[in-house]
Amino acid sequence: MMTKLKIPVGPHHPLLKEPISFLLTVEGERVLESSMRLGYVHRGIERLCQERTYVQAVHLIERICGICSHVHSTTYCHAVETLLGLEVPLRAHYIRALLCELERIHSHLLWLGVLAKNIGLDTVFMYTWRDREIVLDIMEDLSGGRVSHAINVIGGVKIDLDQKMMDIIIEKLEELAPKLTIALGLFENEPTVSLRTQGIGVITKEEATRHCVVGPIARASGVDIDVRRDVPRPPYDRLEFNVVTHTDGDVWARTLVRIMETRESHRLIQQIISQLPSGDIAVKAKRRVPPGEVVCRFEAPRGELFYYIRSDGSDQPARIKIRTPTIPALSTLPDQLREVNLADVPVILSGVDLCIACADR
Amino acid sequence: MSVIKYILRWARRKSLWVLHYNSGGCNGCDIEIVDLLTPRFDIERLGILAEASPRHADVLLCTGPVTAQSKDRLIQIYHQMPAPKWVIAVGSCGCSGGIFTGSYNVYGGIDQAIPVSIFIPGCPCRPEAVIAGILKLSEAID
Amino acid sequence: MELNWLQDILQKVECVGPVDIRRLPEDETWVVIPFDKVFDFVKYIMEDDSTWHLSAITGQDTGSQIELLYHFWLGHGLTLCTRLAYENPQIKSITALIPGAAFYEREAAEMLGIGFTELKDKSFLLLPDAWGKGWPLRKEKKEKHDD
Repeated sequence: MMTKLKIPVGPHHPLLKEPISFLLTVEGERVLESSMRLGYVHRGIERLCQERTYVQAVHLIERICGICSHVHSTTYCHAVETLLGLEVPLRAHYIRALLCELERIHSHLLWLGVLAKNIGLDTVFMYTWRDREIVLDIMEDLSGGRVSHAINVIGGVKIDLDQKMMDIIIEKLEELAPKLTIALGLFENEPTVSLRTQGIGVITKEEATRHCVVGPIARASGVDIDVRRDVPRPPYDRLEFNVVTHTDGDVWARTLVRIMETRESHRLIQQIISQLPSGDIAVKAKRRVPPGEVVCRFEAPRGELFYYIRSDGSDQPARIKIRTPTIPALSTLPDQLREVNLADVPVILSGVDLCIACADR
Repeated sequence: MSVIKYILRWARRKSLWVLHYNSGGCNGCDIEIVDLLTPRFDIERLGILAEASPRHADVLLCTGPVTAQSKDRLIQIYHQMPAPKWVIAVGSCGCSGGIFTGSYNVYGGIDQAIPVSIFIPGCPCRPEAVIAGILKLSEAID
Repeated sequence: MELNWLQDILQKVECVGPVDIRRLPEDETWVVIPFDKVFDFVKYIMEDDSTWHLSAITGQDTGSQIELLYHFWLGHGLTLCTRLAYENPQIKSITALIPGAAFYEREAAEMLGIGFTELKDKSFLLLPDAWGKGWPLRKEKKEKHDD
């Protein structure tokens, strides 16, 4: 009988960009079970928000996560605007959605590169991250920052798009389109990627529902949820896009879903630019928020982002609850890491698209 | 200075191998550090390689404020690196705790746990700033 | 959200007396039920449609009570609110019905000191191993970590 070894993966590991610790119980080449420890990136943001005003909390909320920072601040500002009863101008909704979709493209390209690197295809990692730079250039021209944009205020957005900026965006999108075709085509057509990822980390539709999984992982298992379509609000209720689902539930299905979503986001951005309405970009918001509660859901690159805010009438929030989409994905990992080969662990960990900064807050 | 010392100094300056560790940050500075490996910024042309193990690295590129859970691991990684070694704190959070100062789980900047040689501010830090910081370190090596 | 459907489930669960039902912004229905009826309520809505999605479990300290909110979603939002005692709050865990609730309950337990009976893994999710006493989201003076 072979002895059982306990192998730690993390908190510092070449696979992981963020600290999280797994302990794998291994017998020979087979991982029998695993346990994980979160909390390395826990900064106590929910408590910190209660000690700041609503306006100060916008900057804190943006820094929960570097990859999905804009959608966090959009959800928060939308929730506070609902509590204040503000009518945000349509142009502001469009500009927010533009950055949300740009962020989705940059997040999916980032993930594809990291998956390629962990499989061993370093060149594909270089291609996807080089093409991602074009998206970061667009975001930098728009807002001044590559990763953190600070474009949301309570009441709308801070930055307007003039014709020159829109022309730059259209030009850069045209530059991006053929590169996306090549980079995404590499994943779809290269047999190494599909052989390496098929049949690994399978989550069935029942398991996905029981673990309350959201986002591309749920859609790859056949669960048809997408907050952009299910909670109709501007501008998504006026734009045309498809919700991509797959049935296999393995890492290959998730790769295909994210590739299709990147293409859908590219189409959405073109529609947003062509349909951008005129008008103001923000309305004035009061500092004190009337007492009440609000629940707000948005579609982050990794799934449904949930905010609950309770206000007690002062200018500081009484409670902000943030549930990020990585948390239910992490709860499926012990099942995915049971009775697998040790060599498949990088593929499984990459397939979940970990964003530990979001999960730990 | 003897010839051997001169050659050692030249070798250390011209090929600093870096290790990247995130001790509790939001991941913004980390994706900018991983961006350094990509074709646009390409730190390999400067002789800098990103390493996987602390035992092969000269420089620890550390981001994020030090959280209570992360502190011991950070000190362990620092002790696993062989001398001569340097630490670069990247980002406002790494320099001083940044926007998370005052939280119940955050100690402060990286210098609360390990000695730091270079501080690079920014939220998040641009890749050009990180390259400038590493090159400043290499000039200061004697 | 059909009010009749909600009233049916409340009757099955044997909720006596007037029930506080409100509409919150962004299409959310808010229901307050006693803490010992929560498990049965969740059981009946899962039997009605097993694709009810649990978005989050929020715990909050309102100053006088500990409130636990279960946020569900299926086409429309449904928030179950239940109030627990300030000293030693206890409630039955719903992980037998929804395994994905384990992470949310662990977080509520460590942040507010709520005891979930029948929750298998009660270890800290986010707080560090060296955490002293105290619950960060309670309205007491915030505790610092041991050290």
